[in-house]
Amino acid sequence: MKTFKQHIYIIAGLLLLGACKPDIHTPKPSSGSADFSRYISVGNSLTAGYADGGLYLAGQLNSYPSIIAKQMQSVGGGAFTQPLFSTAQANGSGYLSLTGFNADGTPITTPVTTNLAIRGLLPLPGFGNVTLYTKYTGDLNNYGVPGIKLLYITDAGLPLPYANLNGYFERLLPGNSPTLTTSYLDFVTAKPFTFFSNWLGNNDALLYATSGGAGDFLTDENTFAQLYGLLISRLTANGQKGVVATIPDVTSIPYFNTITVGAILGGVQKANPSVQAIFINALVSGTTYAPRAATAKDLIVLTFPTSKIGQPVSTPYGMLPYGLTPYSPIDNQYVLDENEIALTQEHVNSYNANIKSIAAAKGLAVFDAYTFLNNVKQYGLVENGVSLSSAYISGGIFSLDGVHLTPRGYSIVANEFIKAINAKYGSNIPLANVSDYSGVKFP
Amino acid sequence: MRKLLLLALALLPVFAFAQGFQVNLEGQKQIGMGHTGTGILQDGASVFFNPGAVAMLPQNYIQAGVSPLFYKSDFNPSGTSIQDHNADKIAYPFTFYAAWGPKASFWKLGLAVYTPFGGLTDWGDTWQGKYVLESLNLKAIYIQPTISIRLADFLSIGGGFVYNRGSVDLTQALPLANSSGQAGQAELKGSGKGYGWNAGIYFKTESGVTIGITHRSQVNTTIPNGNAIFTVPTSLASSFPQPNTFSSTIPLPAVNSIGFGFYPCSKWILAFDMNLVGWDAYKTLSFDYKSTTPALQDTHEPRNYQDAVSLRGGAQYKANDKLFIRFGGGYASTAVMDGYVSPEAPDANRVYVTGGLGYTLAKHLDLDLSFEYEHLMKRTQTNFSTQLSGTFETNVYIPGISLAYHW
Repeated sequence: MKTFKQHIYIIAGLLLLGACKPDIHTPKPSSGSADFSRYISVGNSLTAGYADGGLYLAGQLNSYPSIIAKQMQSVGGGAFTQPLFSTAQANGSGYLSLTGFNADGTPITTPVTTNLAIRGLLPLPGFGNVTLYTKYTGDLNNYGVPGIKLLYITDAGLPLPYANLNGYFERLLPGNSPTLTTSYLDFVTAKPFTFFSNWLGNNDALLYATSGGAGDFLTDENTFAQLYGLLISRLTANGQKGVVATIPDVTSIPYFNTITVGAILGGVQKANPSVQAIFINALVSGTTYAPRAATAKDLIVLTFPTSKIGQPVSTPYGMLPYGLTPYSPIDNQYVLDENEIALTQEHVNSYNANIKSIAAAKGLAVFDAYTFLNNVKQYGLVENGVSLSSAYISGGIFSLDGVHLTPRGYSIVANEFIKAINAKYGSNIPLANVSDYSGVKFP
Repeated sequence: MRKLLLLALALLPVFAFAQGFQVNLEGQKQIGMGHTGTGILQDGASVFFNPGAVAMLPQNYIQAGVSPLFYKSDFNPSGTSIQDHNADKIAYPFTFYAAWGPKASFWKLGLAVYTPFGGLTDWGDTWQGKYVLESLNLKAIYIQPTISIRLADFLSIGGGFVYNRGSVDLTQALPLANSSGQAGQAELKGSGKGYGWNAGIYFKTESGVTIGITHRSQVNTTIPNGNAIFTVPTSLASSFPQPNTFSSTIPLPAVNSIGFGFYPCSKWILAFDMNLVGWDAYKTLSFDYKSTTPALQDTHEPRNYQDAVSLRGGAQYKANDKLFIRFGGGYASTAVMDGYVSPEAPDANRVYVTGGLGYTLAKHLDLDLSFEYEHLMKRTQTNFSTQLSGTFETNVYIPGISLAYHW
């Protein structure tokens, strides 16, 4: 009887020690009605983990699909393989690195050109040069191909199959450009999978916008709808579930909101107060462009070399200061003017309406990136004590190219995808810890 | 073409501290009885519990005690299965009391040194909320000379002056990654002082019930010249000038108490206390930096605390001439409203139970042991300003020991 009592005391003591640390009960991990055992991600540069103007190993390791896949592990997610660059060629395509600030606070970025994975430059007659990268062989879950448009997934209307024209796609396939024949649509659906994410379509609007409406074109709205329907029907052919994302408003990114017309004009007026306006070559209608004074509604691209302003340029009317007269306007490629913006937005809205209705018809989860990024632009975002915004560098979400995201930005996007998946399929994929991911790296 | 890309870094380090950090560990005999002592007389700890009662002490006292405090918090970020535990660190709230007066005189002098407020939490530099808080070490040491006067056999009063020596050491990660991706850090470290007073009245009713009423004033503690240490990437050093200092004032709240003692038979004492803690005074927390930049501005964070109430009860049983057995417990409401909970001391309504043993080692020497277990209720919150969202739960374990010499 006495030893029994002693045992009780020992057990009670152990229980007390065991109870020392509180543990909060959390719901049992569940995949809900979805099956995450083989998850694939379909998309463009954002999906590949592109950042700071390039695709490189550190960016790939923080891609949003890889973050989602990591979080899926606890609810039945399988291995997730990405076409990573080797550590010896970790800098991949090369990228921009922040190396300091000028006295006026403007950032200095420097291209990283060592340890690249570039294997050559292939001139294709009638197309131009294609940069080729070290081949990747092996299993693949992340099918993100920087630069790809939805328009190109079937190769229709292209001089050569798209795999020959895009070095990032070429590196994923056996064989070499220009002899490849696999379309992106066939490529991503070749191997069975149980769950997918799809964020294609950004470049169908973005590339037009980032070229100032001068170097690319907007994918026709009906073509977009038709191709998106085809893509989703192929991805869901065996009853797979998935999540899709809408196309962000191109004007929500710092690429268009950092160098403003007002700031340029203000800079000029400091040196020359008599200057009243800066001039751009703006879209009138159709393909007709005409010079006019710029307003705050016209957006200047991040890559605009501001030093050009005021430099004498040769015109039919003699040497005139660049950007300061209607005869020497800022080149079209540096400006997304008001009408171009309207045209882009009209297309993006049409794309998104189709994305949402097709997703709804197939019962897919939707991450509304359009609304999310517009809200971030308008209201900012606070996560775990960190204030985030759409501002260039200081905002913490966008990388140095002003279009793609930082690891922190990608982790936030991954969480938005996860929330959409959980809401749709009744799963409880745990959210990623945004505090573990950094913003822009400072020297 | 100047200033096209002005970098306004909206990365103000906003510090939040001081919440629910009242420490109620001011005497082992009293802790054993649920931390009651306003309406009863036990020993020199009455200098703290009710300066008005000191003159009624039958003897002179000199005593000291310590109550090592194990604060175990867990945070489960919303939507995750992560359990973030704070590090095992032990705080040492202590007490020292002296009460002296001529034998059978109508007055007594007292001196108390104690730690009525403090906090020690270390969540580490990898957890979800590291940009809100990594660690906090807050101490307030009150030094209180006291005088107490017996006006009649059944009535005494007393009052004291409080000098507070406070110190704070607070660290927080800054979301400014260097080239290897490592976050920056801010540390605020300094000490300061504040003044206050307290007063009490103690009386015995005809029925034998004893009653005490006390007021301990608010003590505004000002840290005039603390060090503000920022570790940031080199290219941002000019935005966070070093060396730099900060000033801040923390109101340590007033406490109004009423307590009752009952003596159903010679072996038993029953005690009840009620405290009203004037946290309502804590509206904002401000930090003023000596050197400010666009990235480093003075901060004024709303706190909007509410007054809190504690209800305490306890009993002492005299087993024999040398051994006393004590037990008690209580409930304290939180001062922190929904939306303001943060990880410095994740406050919530709390319940606690206590137990204690007293042993007379020698004719003039008491040894007292106490143990307190506190449970802070699970609380799921999204902080208004940091958006840190999740569930906090906390257990506190506090053993304690004291020695009292009396003559």
